[in-house]
Amino acid sequence: MVFLGGQVLPGNVGRAILGPFADQRAVDALNHTLGVDRPLLTQYWGWISNFVQGDMGTSYIFRSPVAPFVIDALGNSMKLATVAFVLVVPIGILGGVVAALNLNRPLDRIISLGGLSVTVLPEFVTGIILILIFGVWLRWLPISAAWPRDAGFFTQLYYLILPSLPLFLVLFGYIARMARSGMIEALDSDYTRTAVLKGLPWRTVIWRHVLRNALLPTITVIATQTGYLIGGLVVIETLFRYQGIGSLIFTAARGKDFPMLESGILTIGIVYAVATLIADFLYSMLNPRIRLGSDQ
Amino acid sequence: MSKNYSILDLIRRNRSPLENHLIDGLVDGRVSRRDFVRHGSLLGLSLPLLGRIGMAAGLGGMPSLARAQGAPGATIRVASSVPAATIDPVTIADAGGLLVMQQVAEFLCVDGPDLVLQPALAESWKPNDTGTVWTFKLRKGVKFHSGGEMKADDVVASIDRLADPANSSNALSVFTGILQKGASKKVDDYTVEFHLDAPNGNFPYMLSSDNYNAVIIPASYKGDYEKSFDGTGPFKIEKYTAKVGASFVRNEDYWGPKALPERTEFTFFTDTQPQILALQGGQVDIINQLPVLAGVALLNDPNIDIISLKSSAHQQLHMRCDEGPLKDARVRRAIALCLDRDKLAAGLMKGRSALGNDSPFAAVYPSTDTSVPQRKQDIAQAKQLMEAAGLGQGFKITLTTERYLEIPEYAQLIQNWVKEIGVELDLNILDQGGYYGDAVFGKSNWLDSVMGITDYGHRGVPNVYLAAPLKSEGTWNAAHFKNKDYDALATSYIAALDLEAQKADAGKIQKLLLEETPVIFGYFYDYLTATAKGVAGVQPTAMSQLFLDKASKA
Repeated sequence: MVFLGGQVLPGNVGRAILGPFADQRAVDALNHTLGVDRPLLTQYWGWISNFVQGDMGTSYIFRSPVAPFVIDALGNSMKLATVAFVLVVPIGILGGVVAALNLNRPLDRIISLGGLSVTVLPEFVTGIILILIFGVWLRWLPISAAWPRDAGFFTQLYYLILPSLPLFLVLFGYIARMARSGMIEALDSDYTRTAVLKGLPWRTVIWRHVLRNALLPTITVIATQTGYLIGGLVVIETLFRYQGIGSLIFTAARGKDFPMLESGILTIGIVYAVATLIADFLYSMLNPRIRLGSDQ
Repeated sequence: MSKNYSILDLIRRNRSPLENHLIDGLVDGRVSRRDFVRHGSLLGLSLPLLGRIGMAAGLGGMPSLARAQGAPGATIRVASSVPAATIDPVTIADAGGLLVMQQVAEFLCVDGPDLVLQPALAESWKPNDTGTVWTFKLRKGVKFHSGGEMKADDVVASIDRLADPANSSNALSVFTGILQKGASKKVDDYTVEFHLDAPNGNFPYMLSSDNYNAVIIPASYKGDYEKSFDGTGPFKIEKYTAKVGASFVRNEDYWGPKALPERTEFTFFTDTQPQILALQGGQVDIINQLPVLAGVALLNDPNIDIISLKSSAHQQLHMRCDEGPLKDARVRRAIALCLDRDKLAAGLMKGRSALGNDSPFAAVYPSTDTSVPQRKQDIAQAKQLMEAAGLGQGFKITLTTERYLEIPEYAQLIQNWVKEIGVELDLNILDQGGYYGDAVFGKSNWLDSVMGITDYGHRGVPNVYLAAPLKSEGTWNAAHFKNKDYDALATSYIAALDLEAQKADAGKIQKLLLEETPVIFGYFYDYLTATAKGVAGVQPTAMSQLFLDKASKA
């Protein structure tokens, strides 16, 4: 689909590389060198047959193997996503739990409305505001996420704080809202009432009966956001000059660099599939009734 | 100051008739001092010699191009756009890539500020009497970073590589019809002759930084430039990481004065806004190219200096001369008369541009005939022209263009202005890929649209603008303008070696294009480079090059 979709876009690879003002003979020569003047089926078959053998092909734009670009970019995206997740998942769930336990009180309203407000703000708005405050005015944090060469773990972490904050703001309201509604539903359920009536301590009721059930939908939401965090961060990556897979795919699409584009998109597809698998696994861990082979 | 004719006679004694004609023009007052320097440099006269002639002609010394020396040893950090493709001197076409390449590799001559050609790897050059053969004398003792000496074989191979249609050369469009593969001849190790297809009075610009692919690299080059980054420049590559950045260190074996900075670092950005924030946040020292609208925040920032170079870069508004209501030259003139060019220059371009007069002859060119009256907004006259063309009720038409720089805003202004004469303009603003398409007739919104706006980068001479978008058989003739008189005048201009002959042709071309108006040239925008306060000695060119060998930080 990506391959066919790319073919209907105007222009060709040679023209994208040499620019609109290049001589047509030079463009034709480059297209021939790159092999993009071959029939489409030949080109596609060449790429897919190599891909299934683990060879992602050679970039038209960079004239070097695609795999190192995709692996580097995926690694970078996962680093950023991990930092964002580590920040937002516990705080988002905690926010939702606290809001549900304080239902309709001022704290609930602050968390719910505050979360909703920051969620609807686009990343480029919050990103620029955060850069201006922490990068330009206070100069506490680097405004670029590209860390220096040979940077250690903590230096890399330091460089990732600022770009992860807009992601935190986008996801916080979403996760907190899901956790809150799950909690409200679980708190209102028969099994919670039974546990309370059995005389179990409130802390045990919350930890063993309420949270376990309340977080099931939240986990599904978190899993679906994994794909976004890995592959959909073009705006953040552009703003913070971060070499993630989102910007890699965006650049490849603009340059009609199909080996890079197709490999990047397929890689994100694999990430989505793995994230969903992990979510299913966690779901089954928390809800024994849906475990395969279980007779409960 | 009085003229010293004895010195002038001495200088004139060894000069060609062409050079003496230029000197006479300066002495008689027909040629201004500024034009004398620019055209003299084109003919290969050295800057010290031009200075001596100026003194003898009673005009004082020529402006010095030397810059104040700052403290050595700095690391200069530059924000640049991401190279769009692999860096290869033959194919490279984008600002980010050529900026990196230009740090290590040099040109025969450099088109400096004010379009004065400065010697680099060539010490001097001169044409034959007809302008069909240009002879370049090379500098001796220039070493490539890989060790060998740069000689005529390397120059011949570098230029031949670019002129060969089989090489995917991005410079092929510059050399087509001018210089073929095999027409560059070695005379001796330090002399090269270029035998042109036709007379060309501005040829040295095509071997200068104006033709950004024309860097001199070893004759043995076979590709994979990113593995060697070989060249003769004042800096050598330290590290290059695709899509991330590059760093360079001083070349201690450089043929000229050693570079002041110890290191330079180039950080690649995909967008302008992060570059601006990085400059404001102190993470870079220079933004190489600052678009005026995106960079408004920096223009009046007291912590930032703006280097503003007058250039010939512009947005061409073409109108199809072969179909529809725009076929009538009166209608095209009427539309051109709707534009308020003062507002364009002051408002849209924040004062960082020069007025255009619907020809490619920008004010920066010494050959531009400044006596041709400037076209100004005149709605009454525009309405009369529309009436005369039988289109007093107006018409509806589509303006197709690219989303790039200030073009969308420019299109909206035009849309509002032409309403006054009844023209209803629909805007079709596309991304660049969609606008240029395959960039050949029949497969390109740029070349096929009835009306469109296209960005044209800076050129030190107007030759390319005169030929490709305006000649009858021009490869970028989006206006489909076919005029034999124009073709003859453009050919004559391109062939002319003499500044006054060029001026005479330029005046005729300017008047013809005002009458026909196939393309509206509304303004020529300045090339802007932003530096942090305290950064000195930075020399950009309007071709996106950045010379940092004299750069320093306070």
